[in-house]
Amino acid sequence: MDNRILAENLAELYREAAVRYESLPAFATRNKELEWHPVSFRELYERGLDLATGLIQLGVKAREHIGLFGDNRFEWILADYGTQLCGAVDVPRGRDITEDEMIYIINHAQIKVAFVETRVLLRQVQKLKKELPKLKEIILLDPNAEAPKGVHRLDDIIATGAKLRAKGDKRADERMKNIKPDDLFTLIYTSGTTGKPKGVMLTHANMMSQVKVIPISLTCTDRVLSILPIWHIFERVFEVFTISCGVCTYYSNIRNLADDLRNVEPTFMGSAPRLWENLHQRILKRVSEAHPMRRLLFHTAYFLSRQYKNSLFFLFGRELRLKPASVIKRVVLSPLHLLRWIIVTPFYGFFNVAVLEPVRLSAGGSLKATISGGGALPVEIDRFFNYVGIPVLEGYGMTETSPVIAVRLEDHIVIGTVGPALAHTEIRIMNLESGEVIYPNANQPHEGRGQRGEIWIKGPQVMKGYFREPEKTSETIRNGWLNTGDLGMITFNNCLKILGRSKATIVLLSGENLEPAPIEMRLTQSTYIEHCMVVGQDKKYIGALIVPSLEGFRGDGTKAKSLEELVEIPDVKKVIQNEIKKMISISNGYKRFELIQDFRLVGEDFKVGEELTNLYKMKRHVITDKYARLIEEMYPADNAKGGKV
Amino acid sequence: MEFTTQLLYPIDQVLLAVMIFSIMFGMGASLTIDDFKTVVRYPRGILIGFLSQFGLMPFFAYSLAIFFELPPAYAISIILIGCLPGGTTSNMFAYFARGSVALSIAMTTASTILALLMMPILLEFYTEEFTRQISEEMMLAGTGTEFVIPTSNIIMSLVLVLVPVAMGMFLRYKSPLWAKTAEDTAGFMGIIVIIYLIGTAFARHSGLMLQTPVEIYLSAISVGLLGFLFGYWMSRLFRLSPIFQRAISLETGIQNGPIAFAIILLSFAEPIQSQMLWLAILYSTFIVMTSSFITLYYRRVGKFDFEVYKNTTIHNRLFGDSYVTHYPGGYLPKRISKDPSQGSIPAQKRP
Repeated sequence: MDNRILAENLAELYREAAVRYESLPAFATRNKELEWHPVSFRELYERGLDLATGLIQLGVKAREHIGLFGDNRFEWILADYGTQLCGAVDVPRGRDITEDEMIYIINHAQIKVAFVETRVLLRQVQKLKKELPKLKEIILLDPNAEAPKGVHRLDDIIATGAKLRAKGDKRADERMKNIKPDDLFTLIYTSGTTGKPKGVMLTHANMMSQVKVIPISLTCTDRVLSILPIWHIFERVFEVFTISCGVCTYYSNIRNLADDLRNVEPTFMGSAPRLWENLHQRILKRVSEAHPMRRLLFHTAYFLSRQYKNSLFFLFGRELRLKPASVIKRVVLSPLHLLRWIIVTPFYGFFNVAVLEPVRLSAGGSLKATISGGGALPVEIDRFFNYVGIPVLEGYGMTETSPVIAVRLEDHIVIGTVGPALAHTEIRIMNLESGEVIYPNANQPHEGRGQRGEIWIKGPQVMKGYFREPEKTSETIRNGWLNTGDLGMITFNNCLKILGRSKATIVLLSGENLEPAPIEMRLTQSTYIEHCMVVGQDKKYIGALIVPSLEGFRGDGTKAKSLEELVEIPDVKKVIQNEIKKMISISNGYKRFELIQDFRLVGEDFKVGEELTNLYKMKRHVITDKYARLIEEMYPADNAKGGKV
Repeated sequence: MEFTTQLLYPIDQVLLAVMIFSIMFGMGASLTIDDFKTVVRYPRGILIGFLSQFGLMPFFAYSLAIFFELPPAYAISIILIGCLPGGTTSNMFAYFARGSVALSIAMTTASTILALLMMPILLEFYTEEFTRQISEEMMLAGTGTEFVIPTSNIIMSLVLVLVPVAMGMFLRYKSPLWAKTAEDTAGFMGIIVIIYLIGTAFARHSGLMLQTPVEIYLSAISVGLLGFLFGYWMSRLFRLSPIFQRAISLETGIQNGPIAFAIILLSFAEPIQSQMLWLAILYSTFIVMTSSFITLYYRRVGKFDFEVYKNTTIHNRLFGDSYVTHYPGGYLPKRISKDPSQGSIPAQKRP
């Protein structure tokens, strides 16, 4: 069914999509609740060509870097079309870009022409004018905003290009012919969780290799709802993939998500774990508020589904296998699982139809599967959606690998892993201390499966390098192998399991190593905890900074109006203390040195762009700097008082 | 095969009554006044559905009775089943079979009301020969007078069964949330009671299932299957869209079992009551299985058409009624290339 368009470069892909899909909608944006505006593949391509011609007229050279500052909107895609079709490279960044980042990126990437989304952003750029000596031309994307003198409007550039094309201007077509697979299509500055931004150079070949092998099947009857920032490579690759499949992408946002899910009834969706956590909590909340009969029905359905799927997973070898399979165990257990499966199936059938289907309807009802990336998905949430019948394909990747390295397969989901490596991608697990290859290694037991180490990858998706940073490039890529900086292992059914960042590892004074991420993930599942960061590098014990959840405490009837007020209430500290004790305990499988000995409440939420990246990952160094005083408090020379767990 | 004891004990009868009540209540809880209005929206579908439900099904039931030379009590029972209106379970199956749920609901609604008129006429027409047989047997045994189909009782039972439906509709009108719960609970209770009845019947009349002649099984299973098959082909012959074909097929084969129980319990007496009930129980059991398999099959074959239908109608919902979706040349198979919205959006129809 799936006949995605394959091409040598993005411009060619855009052209082929216009030829094949013509008037089918490519993108749709919402005006009012039920009023959406579609733009067809043909229209998008023609206007893209106009824009490309207009840009050439403006003086944009082939392979020149063009800034693209803004968030998801149709004009963003149009700007990207224009850029690709004139053989240039875009340097994208979201609306939340800080002034420092803007100065750094524009100067470092040597940007002469930049698209700017809104008036607010425009003012920001103009304010920094003195520090941006190379920036010559600015193009305003928002069609409803007035452009001040010296700033171009997107529509004007398009109109200029259209006139030139009508007179027979073929310069854009010439440019398209001269794009080489090894040319860049984008230069993405990673917000990074450490250090200053690095410009990741991604080529047309990188992108096309992804489009070719993404193991998801979409056709022009599918609908994709988009809520992730478009300038991030995960969303970007996904949108190019949808273009190649003729799928229409509908732009949504967090605020309207519930409505849009119902109206658009997406068949596929890409998202960060945060959204699934959100949806999970919403569903559970609705269940807990329903009256007892409905609750009973839901829990029965969930229980049956778990029995059914667990047996099914076992019979098809899809359970998480961290240890070698024992033949005896399989022989003994298989008939038992088969029996359970046969008994449960009719009941599961009824409850799946009567109870779980309405739950699925709250997510639109047509979702065939969803993809989660940009962070680890808590395993409880992962299980929940798979049991409820919305398969979540967790993927793994990074900007430097444009981005997919591994992703679960629709018909072979192994919960707790990120699936097998993508086609043409090789994965190595390396010993952190000795630097030896653990997997694949014929000398290791089971070729090195089930042993943890640092993940290195090699494949057509690996970036060309960091722009103007050869040392950093050679630190990261050695002999074609890219160091992901993540810890992981290969399971016995050949899936990759991620075990945390090798760099985020906290080494305690005692020399014990621990991964903060799993502990943080566990804690943030408490309804009372919004965010949490574990600290303790080179200390005797670990501590935690905790942003309590105002919503969670409100559910309990607190009168606090803001987080600041909330953290002042003594009971709040007690509640959190109990939560930590309950969740992170020896009896829950944590080691003694993983127990949180002390914590501090933070009266200010972590914000995207400051403490959090756009994918809600914590920027540890930013938080560490900002709350240095609070952290120090937890480690006084003598024993600390108060707040102890 | 003779029932030496009663098939159902008084306690079972009470349970059955509770089940009938709750299922019919649940059916009402799933209906709104708007569903009656949709009947008008699909005149062609409804008409063809009517022909297959009240034309084909009773005829098949009669033919099966003749073909398998069923004893008269079983023959009357299977004809009764053939004349029943559609049940709400068919709506659920239509949904999962990627059929038109709106048409399924409309057909259920229309047939339930029409049954008041059609059932007595059809029963009178098809069972004549078998009532005569029973009368002759009874004469020979010297037990009774002439046996006739208790028409007025049947109409009364039908009306009685519609009372909980009306109550359910009232609940739905007052509180949709409670109505949804009532609907699910009723479905669940229905399953439990059916399992209980089969279980006890099996336990009490040990060997009942083994004693039952194979032709009774065959007729209980085939009446539904024939309904599926011919409901499908009939609507296909009349060139209805695939989503309507699937809905009509399921609607034709799946009858409202609880109404059969109610009629048998309220209108017929021993010695034929137990035999009639047994066939109704067999039908209700097998129809769940056969329609599950048919649904899985339809789900698979209808996947592509349904995705096209869904995507096309969503385009119109979001982009306006006049939006026309042009799929790439050769993408759509011939059966839906003239109208990817399968009859639901006028603008999508092309010459």
